[in-house]
Amino acid sequence: MKIAFTSTGTSWTSLIDPRFGRTEFIVVYDEEKKVISAIDNSKVKNVAHGAGSATAQMVFELNPGVLITGNGPGETASNALKHHHMKIFVDAHDMTLKEAYEHYKNGKLKEV
Amino acid sequence: MNEIVVLSGKGGTGKTSITASLAVLAGNEAVIADCDVDAANMHLLLNPDFATTIEFYSGELAVINQEQCTRCRKCEDACRFNAIVYLNKKMQVMPIDCEGCGYCEKVCSPRVITMQERKSGNVFISNTKAGSKMVHARLDIGAENSGKLVARVKNEAKSLAVAGNKLFIIIDGAPGIGCPVVSSLAGANYVVLVTEPTMSGLHDLKRICTMIRKFRIKAGCIINKWDLNEEKTTEIKQFLHDQQIEHLADIPYDISFTKAMTEGKTIVEIQSPNREILDRIWNDIKSQLQN
Repeated sequence: MKIAFTSTGTSWTSLIDPRFGRTEFIVVYDEEKKVISAIDNSKVKNVAHGAGSATAQMVFELNPGVLITGNGPGETASNALKHHHMKIFVDAHDMTLKEAYEHYKNGKLKEV
Repeated sequence: MNEIVVLSGKGGTGKTSITASLAVLAGNEAVIADCDVDAANMHLLLNPDFATTIEFYSGELAVINQEQCTRCRKCEDACRFNAIVYLNKKMQVMPIDCEGCGYCEKVCSPRVITMQERKSGNVFISNTKAGSKMVHARLDIGAENSGKLVARVKNEAKSLAVAGNKLFIIIDGAPGIGCPVVSSLAGANYVVLVTEPTMSGLHDLKRICTMIRKFRIKAGCIINKWDLNEEKTTEIKQFLHDQQIEHLADIPYDISFTKAMTEGKTIVEIQSPNREILDRIWNDIKSQLQN
């Protein structure tokens, strides 16, 4: 399964970005292939309005089974993401990606 | 480090006066951020020194290459904001009217219109009279606040708080429930709601509460000017109780609020019965964050 994170950096030691729409990066971990890849979200980060739906679009294209983020997404992005079958886990801000992934594996992250 | 965002839903409830008071009480334990950039006015109370200025770019502006323009005037017809006019034998873009939609760029057959990033204001990093750092912004004429600008102000404040090992970031949020407010909530640990006992005060409080619930952030509410309409205050208290939102305090209407403001001071810097209430509110917020 593919796991997507909103992240402030590109590695396992990066902190989760609490923002959904204006996250710095979207990092994807492919559990089968055991590879991690990062997508620079600076283009979306720099739009004046509508960042949430633009990032939601990006996540749709990546098609992950799980999304791990901070205290977002907001109303519009949440409504859009509902149409995808992925599971969304929140309140992982202040954790590194590694910590967030372990919390998720141990069932300690909150699902919305 | 804890991020405290002060929000009101409705404007004019005393949000900024209260935020500035909390900022003075927190002193150099906090970094202050003014995210109410459309009506940025916290600088009037905190006397910042505008130490650092950073240019801020947001949105786009149509730019016409005059040498290659054939004056076909298609862009003028296409622009629904009437931002392109034929003046002095040239097609000219009126920067204040241009919304940056890019329609003119699409219809321009000689392809001489480009959309360029536009400067929309400045972000400042200042030292305040309370001994804290403050991040604030000023928009250029015709520019509007955005989620992007709020994110920028907040991120600057966060870097300063991390670098200075501060305990708090106190954020004056924008009114309403739009994009800038959503942006100010990202990463927040506590929301202070400031409302007033009026029909619109309660109505907008309800809207903002729906939003905060979405972000799962702990909130407490201050009813400012509570004694102006005791019936409405009772109704607000009931609402807070039903929503399990902490009722932080009631502040009575007091002319000292206005008096302090005209002197460029916060309520906690003058002789006022409200000083004690604000002291208590600040201690209350701190103890709630520790739990």
